[in-house]
Amino acid sequence: MAGLSLNSVKKRFGETEVIRGVDLDVKDGEFVVFVGPSGCGKSTLLRMIAGLETTSEGRIEIGGRDVTGEDPARRGIAMVFQTYALYPHMTVATNMGFPLEMAKRPKDEIERKVREAAKILHLEQYLERKPRELSGGQRQRVAIGRAIVRQPGVFLFDEPLSNLDAELRVQMRIEIARLHQDLGTTMVYVTHDQVEAMTLADKIVVLRAGRIEQVGAPLELYENPDNAFVAGFIGSPRMNFVPATVKSAQRDTAVVSAPGAGLPELAVTTRGAPPKVGTEVSLGIRPEHFVAASGATAALAGKVTLVERLGGVAYAHAQLDDGSAITVESRDAHEFSAGMMGRFGPDPRRAYLFDTEGNRI
Amino acid sequence: MKRSWRQATALLGGLAATALIIGLPFWWVVTGSIKLPREIIQRQPTMIPHSFTTQHFEKLLQASDFPIYLLNSLVVALFSTAFTVLLALPAAYAFFRMEFPGRNTLYRTILLAYAFPGVVVLIPLYGLFARVGLIDSPVALVIVNVALALPFSIWMMRSFLATIPREIEEAAVVDGAPTTTILVRILMPLIAPGIASVAIFAFISSWTEYLFASVLIVSDAKRTIPVGFAGIIGQYQIDWGLLLAGATAAIVPVVALFALVGRWFVSGLTEGAVK
Repeated sequence: MAGLSLNSVKKRFGETEVIRGVDLDVKDGEFVVFVGPSGCGKSTLLRMIAGLETTSEGRIEIGGRDVTGEDPARRGIAMVFQTYALYPHMTVATNMGFPLEMAKRPKDEIERKVREAAKILHLEQYLERKPRELSGGQRQRVAIGRAIVRQPGVFLFDEPLSNLDAELRVQMRIEIARLHQDLGTTMVYVTHDQVEAMTLADKIVVLRAGRIEQVGAPLELYENPDNAFVAGFIGSPRMNFVPATVKSAQRDTAVVSAPGAGLPELAVTTRGAPPKVGTEVSLGIRPEHFVAASGATAALAGKVTLVERLGGVAYAHAQLDDGSAITVESRDAHEFSAGMMGRFGPDPRRAYLFDTEGNRI
Repeated sequence: MKRSWRQATALLGGLAATALIIGLPFWWVVTGSIKLPREIIQRQPTMIPHSFTTQHFEKLLQASDFPIYLLNSLVVALFSTAFTVLLALPAAYAFFRMEFPGRNTLYRTILLAYAFPGVVVLIPLYGLFARVGLIDSPVALVIVNVALALPFSIWMMRSFLATIPREIEEAAVVDGAPTTTILVRILMPLIAPGIASVAIFAFISSWTEYLFASVLIVSDAKRTIPVGFAGIIGQYQIDWGLLLAGATAAIVPVVALFALVGRWFVSGLTEGAVK
């Protein structure tokens, strides 16, 4: 087991800087998830930790040891790839035992460790099969098994579930969580699926354009985002943003209004000193943080364009009078219908303000 | 995909015509080798032999130098094939995966070398081999055959390597496998069809090579089949029966090679590796 630390890590491909100075500390045994949109550098960062990409600048430490220039095999890591990357001509047992074979471990030790890993992953009856004779979920378990037998200090997962169907993904997600509980090893996991991020992570790292936007526990990021990007990225459906103007301000509260969207005024708690009166801001409200318009102090007004009914919950997509689009969650599947004019009451206690640069106010 | 009967007929017709065009010369050679000499040269050719004899084969094996030519050809072709495969594989891997200055230029240059007709380099090569004392040696033929087959073999092998997902190699790197182990234990089994294709290509290229074999080999006892056969065609007389029997016997090693390596031509070797 080992912690992981990244110090001012940068990666350049020619002139293009894809990782622009990342600092991160991962404690021993922690489950850290890298999330971010496509091209944000999350997979590159993971590959740099693995040693599959060179580090242009900065230092990577695993278990307190500088491994920046070290070969992947000597870093004390094991990696599970998105595409499983099994050796198709070898049996499950040979696949799983391959890293130990490369480490020149004795045959009986390899056999024992493969059997132990197979037991953990319920693969005992498939040990003599070839990967093509297994289902997607079983193949991914073999890939995880190949990682387990090495007893690495850090497990690296590169979008390991994205090739699986929805049902298997849920099942494997639970298995990975259980594995982390049982092994207690440090795990770094890359995904673009925020459900995976929220459910698995002790700590989420949100990346954008090669930089860390925010690091924190899942609920911390959800409840206390540093900026509009994190606020929009964490939570599904994403947070709504409505342009508004500060009408009045006192201590840690700003009263904003969005007349174009039908909102006369809404008092929102700010992080620090509220901005000056007249400042243009962005009002952020999550779809699940609307209250019934009748009981709301103020409401946005607009036309419902589409309603998605998922059974227990429905999402109404509406166009506000000022042209901005919002999504509103409703527990009553029949509260909204397409074409109706609606009033949507934001919960002021769970509303956020962002400046024009997207920083949280 | 479901085909209409018209499409099916056209397809079958096309396949039959192609098979006929390819198969007819073989049929002619093989059946001719068991016909009596007078039937071979008779005015009205016979597609189905009316006579049967093994006299041409007997003559071929007992009274001609064919067994020596066959052995020479086999030795040259097998060594040429082995060296071509052994060199093409690491070269293709280096061009495919390793990064070094001038990689693309070198790769293109190698392909360009393939574009030169053999006759252009014949005289310089003769001079070169004469200087190192390799004239009249099968070693010279192996060197030439390997050099001629390599550019295309590297190109072909590289294309096969490109079909292997990169993650498989990366997984092996993380697992601690050195480059040679990755090449031998992981990649070679996965590109077995590619290795088989290159082997067949190199073998046939060497088996049928005439130009260099006719110039670089001087003594009769060291000739290969194509050159040795040329001697059967005399100025005033051609022993057609012997020639056809020789041609039939010369096909056998190629057919045997196809039968041997044909089992490697199976698709989907990487199935289950990724996805």
